[in-house]
Amino acid sequence: MGILEVNQLFKRFGNHEVLSGFDMDVPEHSIFGFVGQNGAGKTTTMKIVLGLLKPDSGRVTVCGEKVTYGETKTNRNIGFLPDVPEFYGYMRPMEYLKLCGEITGLTKAKTKSKSEELLSLVGLKDEKKKISGFSRGMKQRLGIAQALLNEPKLLICDEPTSALDPIGRKEILDILLAVKGKTTVVFSTHILSDVERVCDRIAVLHKGKLALHGTLSEIKERHRHNGLVLEFGSAEEASLFENTEELKQPSISLSRDGNTVTALLTNHDMGGHFLLGVLSQKRIVPLKFAVMEPTLESLFMEVVQ
Amino acid sequence: MDLAMLKEYLPFLIPLVIAQLALGITALVHVLRYPHYRFGNKVMWAIIVMLVQFIGPAAYFAFGRGNE
Amino acid sequence: MRNYSAFLKKEVLEYTKTYKLLIMLMVFAVFGITNPLMAKLLPEILRKLMTDGNIMTLPEATAYDAWTQFFKNATQMGLIVMVILFSGVLSSELSKGTLINMLTKGLSRTAVILSKYTCMVLVWTISIALCFALTYGYTVYLFPAGETANLIFSTFCLWLFGVFLLVVLLLSATLTKSNYGCLLITGAAAVVCMLVNIIPAAHRYNPISLATDNLGLISNSIAVSSLYCTILISCLLSLLFVFLSVLIFRKKQL
Repeated sequence: MGILEVNQLFKRFGNHEVLSGFDMDVPEHSIFGFVGQNGAGKTTTMKIVLGLLKPDSGRVTVCGEKVTYGETKTNRNIGFLPDVPEFYGYMRPMEYLKLCGEITGLTKAKTKSKSEELLSLVGLKDEKKKISGFSRGMKQRLGIAQALLNEPKLLICDEPTSALDPIGRKEILDILLAVKGKTTVVFSTHILSDVERVCDRIAVLHKGKLALHGTLSEIKERHRHNGLVLEFGSAEEASLFENTEELKQPSISLSRDGNTVTALLTNHDMGGHFLLGVLSQKRIVPLKFAVMEPTLESLFMEVVQ
Repeated sequence: MDLAMLKEYLPFLIPLVIAQLALGITALVHVLRYPHYRFGNKVMWAIIVMLVQFIGPAAYFAFGRGNE
Repeated sequence: MRNYSAFLKKEVLEYTKTYKLLIMLMVFAVFGITNPLMAKLLPEILRKLMTDGNIMTLPEATAYDAWTQFFKNATQMGLIVMVILFSGVLSSELSKGTLINMLTKGLSRTAVILSKYTCMVLVWTISIALCFALTYGYTVYLFPAGETANLIFSTFCLWLFGVFLLVVLLLSATLTKSNYGCLLITGAAAVVCMLVNIIPAAHRYNPISLATDNLGLISNSIAVSSLYCTILISCLLSLLFVFLSVLIFRKKQL
């Protein structure tokens, strides 16, 4: 059983259907990348999980408990970081965490020790400024600290890196990696390199439905194309290979770019050995002969198209 | 107004002046320390809070002050 | 309960740090001082203006005039300043998103509404008490002879109307997204109350009588007992509106 389960979620705003039967299952102790284009419904899904929006139909459970809209008890297991976290600007970080501690019901001593621990984790330990003077990256880091204050089983981050510069992004991703053992992290993003850097599982949301789902390696395995990349010593050899009569059949599509030919084989019975046969027949030795690895980007483009 | 009258109204004038000064100075310090306003600029707000009695500082805190 | 006190503390801190408390107190203090002063000065100024022959016998100002000023200024300007100041009570937190963090930390929505209302009532109570104390002190100083009827009761009515107005404001805040919408609904509600008061029969049941009958009360032209029904209705309506605000806010999509 997953820590977060989403079943057949439907939500429409006016005439626009944002979620149309969305399913998702997040196992414990994973960093779960929740990928989708802008406007795909990532934030909507998260708000429904937090009980801030009411789904038209469908069911969400967190740690086995059903999420109810409005006042939901499941939030005690969740830490949430909004895309642009906002705080009371007149407070200092410690004061803010103290307020959060009082609200979640931690003891004073516990709040204090936990706040200090978290502020040093996110690198704001010596920050005595008021929050109104914080930069975006600092607010984002404080946001993670407040989200982790009550030791949640599930940390939900809504596009935590989108608004940050490369250094700020790296800092946030490092923090997410650091908390991985203690809590399950779900974070939405449209930056695929971030996903590849930290996530072990991903889900791609497209047109209100789950388009891809699983661990990163599983997905890559499943979507490996019967494709081969051949690099030749010269353009002549490449074009000679490209124009071979044996290769002119519907199940093979070739494309040449300079010295490199990419071959996509749609017929699964026909493997690389067929191409090797052609090569030896033509007496051409390629510089490189490689099986095509799918990148996350190409997978994403494929499902989104 | 003669001096006797002024003396009679001194108990009114002193608190009013203190109130105006307290408001004006609090607002002025805020204007100078947080140079972000919903509209207008620093010089404009500084003049308004110091010269417009009571309404100036109130207007600044209610409408002019930028989001913190 | 724990939620409520924690959030109430934050509300009080917010009103202090954002100078809202300061503005309220200053505005009401200034009214408190100027009420008796205006009562005293107005006839004298008029007298100075009419020195050339046409002598009119102006009545000497009394404590009653000072309290007339109090109930006029406090009801009109004071309540308007208060409503404007508090109009962003929910919308500012919702539009900025500061409340989302708190709600996802397990803060109950009921506690949000109740603590916000408590804090507004608290600020209003302190402000009107300050204004009353200053007017009282200076009135005694300027018009030692004056004795005013039903003063405390009349002020209590005004205070209760403020409490009622704040709950109307709160309910409008839960119904709209912006502070302008909130102001608009509150203003419309006040206008409706005034229009209803044109019907004499409705007078006894209309909360706005609490803010319009004050002068009648202190001049003894309106009996105290005639307002008992209004007080009861205002209290009941306030309770009902608090209840409604909580109910609506609990179901609001954020």
